This record gives sequence, structure tokens and C-alpha cells, in this order.
Amino acid sequence: MTERDLERLKDLPVPAPRETAKRAALDAAMAVFEAAHPAGFASAESDAQMQGAPKGKALPLRQMETSHTKRSFRMYLSSRSSQAIAASVAAMVIAAPFAFQQLNKVGVPQPVTIAKTIAPSNSAAGGAAIDEGPKLAMGEVAKPKVEAPALATEPSPAQVSSSPVPPSGADARLKTRANDKAAIGDEVSARGQPSEQITAPAATPAEDKVAAVAPPAPPAASPVDALGAVGGYASGQLYRGGASIAAAPARKADLNAQSGSLMRERDTRLSTAADPSKPNPHSWMGRVEQEKAIVLEENRDKFDAKEINPVKQVATEPVSTFSIDVDTASYAFVRRALNAGHLPPKDAVRVEEMINYFPYAYPAPETAETPFKPTVTVMPSPWNPNNRLVHVAIKGYDLKSAERPRANIVLLMDVSGSMEPQDRLPLVKNAFRLLVDQLKPDDTVGIVTYASGSGIALEPTKVSDKAKILIAIDRLGAGGSTAGAAGISDAYRLAEAGFDKSAVNRIILATDGDFNVGITDQSELKSYIERKRQSGIFLSILGVGQGNHNDALMQTLAQNGNGTAAYVDTLNEARKVLVDESSSTLFTIAKDVKVQIEWNPARVAEYRLVGYETRNLRREDFNNDRVDAGDIGSGHTVTAIYEVTPVGAPVLADDLRYGKATAAPRATIRDEAMAASGELGFLKLRYKKPNEDTSQLISLPIADGLSKTNLSEVPVEQRFSVAVAAFGQLMKGEPYTQGYSFDDVLALAQSARGDDPSGYRNEFLNLVRLAKSARE
Amino acid sequence: MQTAQQQAAEQSETDARLAAKAAGGCRQSVAALIERHYDRIHRLAWRWSGSRDRAEDIAQDVCVKLASAIKNYRGDAAFTTWLHRIAYTTTLDHLRSSQRMVAVEPSEIIRLIDAEVGSSAADDVIGQEMWTAVRGLPPRQRDAVLWVYGEDMSHAEAAHLMGCSEKTVSWHVHEAKKKLKTLLEAVG
Repeated sequence: MTERDLERLKDLPVPAPRETAKRAALDAAMAVFEAAHPAGFASAESDAQMQGAPKGKALPLRQMETSHTKRSFRMYLSSRSSQAIAASVAAMVIAAPFAFQQLNKVGVPQPVTIAKTIAPSNSAAGGAAIDEGPKLAMGEVAKPKVEAPALATEPSPAQVSSSPVPPSGADARLKTRANDKAAIGDEVSARGQPSEQITAPAATPAEDKVAAVAPPAPPAASPVDALGAVGGYASGQLYRGGASIAAAPARKADLNAQSGSLMRERDTRLSTAADPSKPNPHSWMGRVEQEKAIVLEENRDKFDAKEINPVKQVATEPVSTFSIDVDTASYAFVRRALNAGHLPPKDAVRVEEMINYFPYAYPAPETAETPFKPTVTVMPSPWNPNNRLVHVAIKGYDLKSAERPRANIVLLMDVSGSMEPQDRLPLVKNAFRLLVDQLKPDDTVGIVTYASGSGIALEPTKVSDKAKILIAIDRLGAGGSTAGAAGISDAYRLAEAGFDKSAVNRIILATDGDFNVGITDQSELKSYIERKRQSGIFLSILGVGQGNHNDALMQTLAQNGNGTAAYVDTLNEARKVLVDESSSTLFTIAKDVKVQIEWNPARVAEYRLVGYETRNLRREDFNNDRVDAGDIGSGHTVTAIYEVTPVGAPVLADDLRYGKATAAPRATIRDEAMAASGELGFLKLRYKKPNEDTSQLISLPIADGLSKTNLSEVPVEQRFSVAVAAFGQLMKGEPYTQGYSFDDVLALAQSARGDDPSGYRNEFLNLVRLAKSARE
Repeated sequence: MQTAQQQAAEQSETDARLAAKAAGGCRQSVAALIERHYDRIHRLAWRWSGSRDRAEDIAQDVCVKLASAIKNYRGDAAFTTWLHRIAYTTTLDHLRSSQRMVAVEPSEIIRLIDAEVGSSAADDVIGQEMWTAVRGLPPRQRDAVLWVYGEDMSHAEAAHLMGCSEKTVSWHVHEAKKKLKTLLEAVG
């Protein structure tokens, strides 16, 4: 890059901000400003602003701040300026009537910003207090960023809540907190904290950062104005400091408590990437390797997809083990790319997720006693005439509605500013409406939102009170930046409150994947979710939007939470995930499902697992019940396809020439006997029932009787899944499907469309055509 | 003509005066300041973050900070300098927190993947590879380059904003150029 290139930088175009974003920013800023300058200015202006607002009809708002120090309350009593504040707050409250009016008629509680421990003077006392204080503070900032101007002018600190209290009451609390902060301000200034933090020219970014996070000061009357401002920053600062203090030991504890499970996961990931002949994991050396890998782990999460499962020789590695994967996010992502006229980036393609996106009518188990049934089909490989495909189809038992356990569901919704576009929050809201329609009256739904802070938009409510839930969903709006972890801990708290051992306890997180603030340590967040999973609360993730979409993080979180990660770009897709598959999304029938196949060296020379790159397990992990694996929901189908090269056929791997040489002496009578046994291999499945910790085994020989000579004899369902597998591999640019074309995929899929009631298969055909033209 | 001049005069005068009025509690002045400077803030945030969504989030935070901190504005420095500082620190804060969340390289990859897929033409701007290269620099070097070349500041101004000496800025720029050169040559 030359000087001239650099000179050009300033003239390079910069994308213009969206007008809505600008408005939202302005509204948020003004709400903050007004909150800080209540007296004198607000009244006249807010009059002008709320044209038509029913004057004098104060909105019934109730405060939910739950902790105030007595000291601050005394300060409130002694405040001279409470009346001025009362007036301005009342005015602001009235300014936000329209969105609330209807709600009030129906008597639904409005979202409550969580404010369990506010008093910043307590924050030094312990991690818990610190944990809560700032959320409240950040919530203030978030709140104003709502599209409707009426909402935006709502005074930030006015905590909306669920029982009517006259405005003056709300105001009183408000005041209380203002003074509270002012009090802190005192302490801080005593410590010599400069109030001009921001103007101080040499302030380090770290100092200013506080201001970034800290909320603007809540309304303070003019005498305490400045102090209030300092207080605002100070509490943010205390939080920051406190949080890191609290986080450090927690992280350590995590390391201790979680080392086992984390280690397992690392092992899993390691085995994914490492050479098949990796060192014995139980050896000391192996451990050291794993320790090293910890650092790389996060990278690996995202690079996993790159490493296509290689062809393996049965002679050297006869056993293949992996965990099932019912995620489908990759397909929706690929579809989005193709619809936009691009081929998707190869790393975004996960073949198994594309295959498993489609519902297949595989033979189902008869009773709930055996939660799923494997069906194996052996067929010619459509892309390589010398090879055969071993197709393993697993169908989970479909719980009848009456058999379904009760569901205790908490919806955790990202309402940060980036969720504003139509394909994000509005889509999620519609999707959740659909979901609520699927639930039984006895089920409960709670809603937690998160942005700069987190809040409970709806306490767990029985679905019999559906209107209340729907209105709470309608009420949600986007604003603020994202603090994923705070929201997550609140959601778990809510789920724990309604925890029912016999019920399905699940959190559904809807986000564009933008976890900006909060538990910023990814492994900490992961282990947190994993701990909660062990306590019986599962996590599923619904990804929306693009640009911010953090696929890798979503995958990680969902995998650690025993849940699925689905990417939703249209309402149709949402319907598929939350309605058509609601029972499988919500009701797990078997967990930690692992698949292991031992190949018969007398029959199979080479094999290759299509997809599942991120799900490889070590051979010994199969029988280790402590090793986590994927789950199957009610009615779920899972498909795994192996491409195998029979003994005698031309092999793919170059070095088989030498492999043969070593294998040759072993071609003994025993081998011949095995060859005659009529088995290609032996399939084993391990799973646990949802509430059990010991696994059960299903096994099935892959007998010649399962083999079909022609593709046309293969059932439609299996054939379609093979077409999807071929398409996925083509999109991924795998070397093994060279010579196979999109036209071949089309022909194969077309013949296997079946009756396709939901139209997914037709859509797939369109995608193949799009891919074809995108490549040309 | 007269009016145009007057307008220009108002324009140049008002930053300082508006800020003073805003510091005194004038609501309209705050709104006017935000209205006027939002695009500049967003541009800055975009240059650093490279994503329109994030830039909007950052810009909103900056506006909120502006509104809450304006009362402490004493006019010691030019308003734009003051604002730049807020925008700069807020941006760094955002970048830092998201960095801790997601390892840098993969997040960059995911972002690029998304950008490729994205139909939002806005993020698909000319010179993207250059921005990407600059954003890939070590943070201080990146900041120096973006201030000096992106925002067209003198080394002294950049030094002021970055809280270091002018010499240090020059050194960062120098190092950055060396690195960019090898980087871009390696690419082709």
C-alpha cells in the first residue's frame, strides 16, 4: 500500500446510516438528555411534542425497583425539588400513551426492567449485587431506542411495570434513585474522581469506556445535577470494576468445576481436527496437546467446517464414531445466499445440516420405549459408480400431543438496535406468535428481553392466558446494544423459577448473534450454559438477520445447551422450525445420541462420512457416558451417509497400494469367513433417555439384505436425502463428487420429490437451479 | 448571497454556541448537534468497525453519551474534537468488547462471509479490501492510520485524540505502512 493508496482512504465511500437508526439514536439521546434536565425545559417542549396526548390522564405505571437503601429514601424526603421532577416525569409518562393504552385496557403488565439490586453503594458487597446493578443502569439507555417516538420520549429511568401507581409514586421512586446516585457521586468525588472525565484530554480509553457503558444520570434536580451525573458514571465504574472482580473467581471456579466437561469437548474438537492416528488421549502427552488446543479452540469452532472428512482405510481405522446433529442453520444460510444470486462461501455449507433440514418419512418406532429407529439402506453411489452408499436413517418417536410433557418455555429475545430490520425482531415476534399457538393451555411461557440491559417482558404465564402472552410479544421493540449474557442469566432464572422435573424446560434465544456486551468470555458463557443444561434446562437458538449473524457462536451455545440452532430468514422458515417441528424442537426424546460403525475389512476397503465434520467423536467416547453428543426431538429425523469402496473396487486414496500390501497377509480364512458373513459392517447407536444418565445401546448389522442394486429401488425418502447430500458436497467443492453436476442433482431430486406437502423439496429444486446459474 | 453567508456564519458559529447552549440545558441545541453530527459519528464508527449495523449501534451510544455529557462541556476544546474523543472511545470500547467475545480472525471471516452473502449493497463499498487491511492492523496502528488518513487529521490532532505524543503517532503510521505494504504485496 503506497502513500497514495492511503491518501485515498478519506475519500473512499462510507455507507450511509439508515434514517431509522439516526432517528432512534436521536430519540435515545434526547430521552437521556430530558431525563437529566427535567425542570424548566421539558414541560413546554413535551407539550408540543405530545400533540393529542390525553392530557392529565396519567398512565398507570408501577415501579419495580426492588431495593433502595434507606439512606437514599431519606434523601428523597429531604429533596426540595421533587415537585419539579414530578411534573416533568408525569409529562414524559403521558408522552408515551399510545403504545400502552391498549395494553392497559387488557390489563397486561408491561415489561419490567429488572432492577433487583440497584443501590450502587451495595455493589462492592458481592458479585451478585454487582451483577444486577448495572443491568438496570444499562437498561435505561436501551429503553428509549424504540421506533415509536412516543415510546422514545418515555423517561429512561421510569421503570414500567405491572400495577398501577399514580405518577407521583413513580416519580418518588425515580427521585429516590437519583439521589441514590447522587450519594455515590459524593463518595466518588471524595475519591477524587473527576467529573469532567470525558473532557479530560489525556483520559485513557479505559476511563472513557466507563462513560460508554454507564448510563446517563437519571433525573436529578438542579442542585444535585452535577453530582447525579458523576453518580451515573460512578456506578457504571463500580460495576465494571466489580464485574471483573467477580468474574475472575467465577472463571476459576468454572475451570475447576467444568474442566471435566470442557475437556471432553476439547477432546471432541481435537479429534475432529487431529490426525486420525492421534496420540492416546489418556496419555500424559495427549493431555498436554489438549491443553495447547484450548487456546485454539475458539478458532477451531469456526474452522471446523473447512476440514472435509477424509477417506479412511478400513485396514487402519475400521471404526467410525460421531455424534448426531439435528441443526439446520446451514441450509437456510445457503438458501439465502443463492436467492441473493451468490454461491455461498464454502465454509458456510455443512452438508449434514442441509440433509437434516428436510423432514423424511422414515419408518418410525412403534412405541416410546425405543425412542428412535434406525433404518439402513445400501445403494450405489450416484457420483461414483465404483462406490456404494451406506445410508443410515434415524427417526425419532413422534410424541402424540397427549403424551407430551408440559412445557416450561422462556423466550429470550435480543432487542438490540441491530434487531430492528423487518427480517429480525418483527420476524421473531411473528415466529413466537406461531409457537404460542402450538402450545397446550397447561404450558407456560415467559419472555426476557436483552439489549443494553435485560428485562422481563412477561413473567411465566400459562398458555391458557394466551392473549396476555401475545400482547407481551407485540409490545417488544428494538433498542440499545446487546448484552447476551445478562439476558441469558435472567432467562435461566425465570426457567428455574418455573422448573418442573417432569416438564420440558427450555429457553429459546432469538438473536442476530451480536453478543456485544455481557459475559464477554466465550468459554465462560459456554460453561455457564452447560451447567444449566446439567440442571435440566436446555437452550435452543433461533438466528435471524445477516451481517451480524454469528453462526459459530450460536452453534457453540446451542451445542452446549443441548439444543438446536436454526437460522430463520422468512416467516415460512419460522413456521417450519417453530410450528411444524415444534414438538421436535421442544421435546427431546433421546439425548447424547452417538453413532458408531465398525466396517468389515473383508468387504469394505475405504469409507468416508459425508458431513458431520464438527461432530466427530473418538472411538472410545462412544461408550463413555460422560461425553456429550447431539439430541433427538420428538419426530426428528437424522440422516448419515457413508460412501464406501468395496474391496476389489478402485480405491480413492493413493496410499492404499501400501495399505494393501500390509493388509494382504491378513486376508486369512477368518477374513473369508467374515466376507461370507454377509455384513458390510456393524452399526451401533447409543442414547440416553431425557432424564437418565446411563446410555442404552441399539445395534444392527449392515447386512447384504439391506443392499439395493439400483438407485431406483431405493425408497424416495432416502433418494432425496442423497440428492441433498450431493448438492451440499458440490456447494462445498468436495473433491469426491467431481464429475457430478447440478443437473444430475436435479434429476435425482426430481425423481424423489414425493408428495412434498410443505413444498420444501420443490424449493430445493429451485435452489439447485439457482446454484447452477450462479456458477455459470 | 447574503443569506447564504449568514447561514454559513451560523453554521460555523453554532457548533460552539449550540454546545454552550446545550451545556446550559437547551434541548433544541442538543438535538441540533446530534442532527448535524450524526453522519460524521456514523462514518467514524463505520471506518473503525466496518459494519453498518455495528456502526449504528455505536453511533447511538455516542449520541446518548453526548446528551448526557454535554453539560460538562466547557468549551476548552473545539466541539468536534470533544465529540471525536467520545466517538473514538465508544468505538474502541465496542470493538474491544466484541473482540473478547469472538476471536478476531474467525469473526472477521464470518463477517466477510456475511458481507459476501449480504444483499445490503451499502456494506459492499469500493475499497473494501483496503479497509479490511487497515482494520487488520494492530489497534494503535490502525487508529493512527484511520485518524491521519481516514479522518484527515494532522499527527498532532491524532496524538491528542489518542492520548500519546506526536512522535508516537508518526511511528505508528510508519509501522503501519510497512505492514500494509508486505500484506498487500503478499496478497498480490
